[in-house]
Amino acid sequence: MYRSRVATLGVAALVLAACGGNGAEAPQKKTELTLYNDKGAWTKYFDEMGALSKQSIGLGMKPTGYTDSAQYQAFIKASFRTNVKPDLFTWQTGGMLEEIVKQKQVAETTAVWQEAIKAGDLSQDLAPYYTVGGKQYCVPMNVAYWGMFYNKKIFDKYDLKPPQTWDDLVKTAETLKQNGVKAFYHTSVLFSFVWFEQLMAGTDPDLYDRLSTGKAKYTDPGVVQVMERWKQLIDAGYFINPGDKTDPGDVLKTGKAAMVSFGTWFNTSMTTRSMKAGTDYDFFVIPNVDAALPKTSMIFESGPLCSLTKAADPDASMKYLKWWTTSEAQDKWAKSRGDVSANPKVTIDDPALGTVTKDAGSGKYRLVNRYFEATPPPILTAALDGFSKFVTEPGTYQEVLESIQKAADEYWSTHQ
Amino acid sequence: MSRAAPILGRFRYGYVAPAALLVAVLLYAPFVWTAYLSLTRYDGLESPVWVGLANFAKLFDDAALLISTRNTLIWVIGTMVLPVGLGLLVAVLSYDIRGGAWYRVPFMLPYALSGAGLAMVWSPVLSHDGIANLLLGVDTAFLQEAPTNTFAMLAVWTWQQLGVNTLLFVVGLQSIPKEPIEAARLDGASGWRLFRHVIWPLMRPLTAVVVGLALVSSLKTFDIVWVLTQGGPGRNSETLAVTMYKETFVASDYGYGSAVAVMLTVVTGLASYLYLRRQVTVA
Repeated sequence: MYRSRVATLGVAALVLAACGGNGAEAPQKKTELTLYNDKGAWTKYFDEMGALSKQSIGLGMKPTGYTDSAQYQAFIKASFRTNVKPDLFTWQTGGMLEEIVKQKQVAETTAVWQEAIKAGDLSQDLAPYYTVGGKQYCVPMNVAYWGMFYNKKIFDKYDLKPPQTWDDLVKTAETLKQNGVKAFYHTSVLFSFVWFEQLMAGTDPDLYDRLSTGKAKYTDPGVVQVMERWKQLIDAGYFINPGDKTDPGDVLKTGKAAMVSFGTWFNTSMTTRSMKAGTDYDFFVIPNVDAALPKTSMIFESGPLCSLTKAADPDASMKYLKWWTTSEAQDKWAKSRGDVSANPKVTIDDPALGTVTKDAGSGKYRLVNRYFEATPPPILTAALDGFSKFVTEPGTYQEVLESIQKAADEYWSTHQ
Repeated sequence: MSRAAPILGRFRYGYVAPAALLVAVLLYAPFVWTAYLSLTRYDGLESPVWVGLANFAKLFDDAALLISTRNTLIWVIGTMVLPVGLGLLVAVLSYDIRGGAWYRVPFMLPYALSGAGLAMVWSPVLSHDGIANLLLGVDTAFLQEAPTNTFAMLAVWTWQQLGVNTLLFVVGLQSIPKEPIEAARLDGASGWRLFRHVIWPLMRPLTAVVVGLALVSSLKTFDIVWVLTQGGPGRNSETLAVTMYKETFVASDYGYGSAVAVMLTVVTGLASYLYLRRQVTVA
């Protein structure tokens, strides 16, 4: 009996020992870092960056890309509690970044930012998106400005020019409609928020900001008016069916819709479809709905690249983040994807995107944080569901706003 | 009795220990953890905060949950009528005819696809600009309007599940002893009467299994809905399993998502218990 108890204890000790291992381990010295991301389609570009970083700073990088954002976020959150930690990972600015900073999971990058701003590799304007409690966390993996990509051949065919005012845009849509062409792309899946944020930001950007911070309600008259305007555009027949599952890149290429509103990263979809900027397609900044606003509102997004406080080799991770902001890295990153860069020194081949980037940096526009980042996750989930319902049943806008407000009330009651 | 028996007896728990440990760690522990989380407010990052039965109270005040319960009910009833009912029909019609196995082959093939793969195949067919609208010459929003979208997905589900149900029913038919059927035929029974009064009762044990499996799989319908509609537009095609996933991983409301999971477990367990108990009683 005694022997069997001893054996049992021995086995238990072995099992515990096997399960443990989170003690004070010496930091590993890494030559290759893992980069977990929710951009599975960009694996090729991450691989290219890994090859370049190996050459430049002796640190390779191996990407693991997820295509489902929810699964990715759940994995990263779970990884905080285990020893399977990514060296680097992509995340979101706004409430999502604040969440993990509060949990002391993400490594501070204030020093990297200060150095990069001094060297002209990062803009001071970007810092607020990465600042929580006066300190910076993560570095910009990418930046994107939102506007309208349009099929240039269709525009040329009907003698249309990029609109200068909102009325011009509506007239353009009407002309296209008269010629049997759908003007705009929209969808009921994930990006259902695009037209809401565009119309809100172009009508009353202050109200948009107040909505994001819980200081205004989705049922306020200003928001209701925006939904009514959106409904008018849908009722006028300017949009393709939101249930159309054609990839938006193909929508624009085939002319199923003449215009697609997305971030500058959508440029990659065009270039991978062998479409030529300035010939097959082009890009314009969407004019404000309210012409009286002092600056044109432009939706802006920036995706962070982060490392963990408890990374396996914190020095190597930080070294990589620092390298990522340099013009050498950013030039490669922007050129391979045909997109803009967070580094002001990087020049962009595409003239339209180059102009937008330059103008955005010069303060010509009022940059408005993308709805996806600006809105706290529980409200965002309700809003995405709501807008998805609205685009298929535009008459439900009041009900939709009320349901989003219900989620907002619940969230802000514990987060003000 | 040899000496081996008492030795084996002494270590008998040792033999089942690895399996018991695996079951405990992989099945019971997550279940207990989920049940605990259902009583908390938890966003996956901060520590869970005990809220008692608040999440369960919210279940009764959630319009979206009402919709997903309705859709799940449609899935359960639809599965009984379509994949199971049609499976039985195909099995009976193709059972006693020459080359019957070949008739069944086309019904079997889709079963090789996974739920997600199945949805990927049907997505371009059912989307608004899809092949279904083109072939039928209609302009139906198969995946947008409720409950049309649930019916459309149920049709896809039938396409896949029909084969395996047919196969199971054929096995059931083959296991029926020939004597009672021959006796019934001698007594003049044939066609529907023969099926209703002789074949059907003899197939009851197998039918119980087929219906039981279909019941459980329809209650936890997830992949096909997730890939085809993600529960939308809005939340109008969600099932309880989709609601559970969305609340937990999309909205990061692990507490409420766990409450939905517990509710789904209770419903599934209860439905299976009531159904199987009835089958056992009847048998």
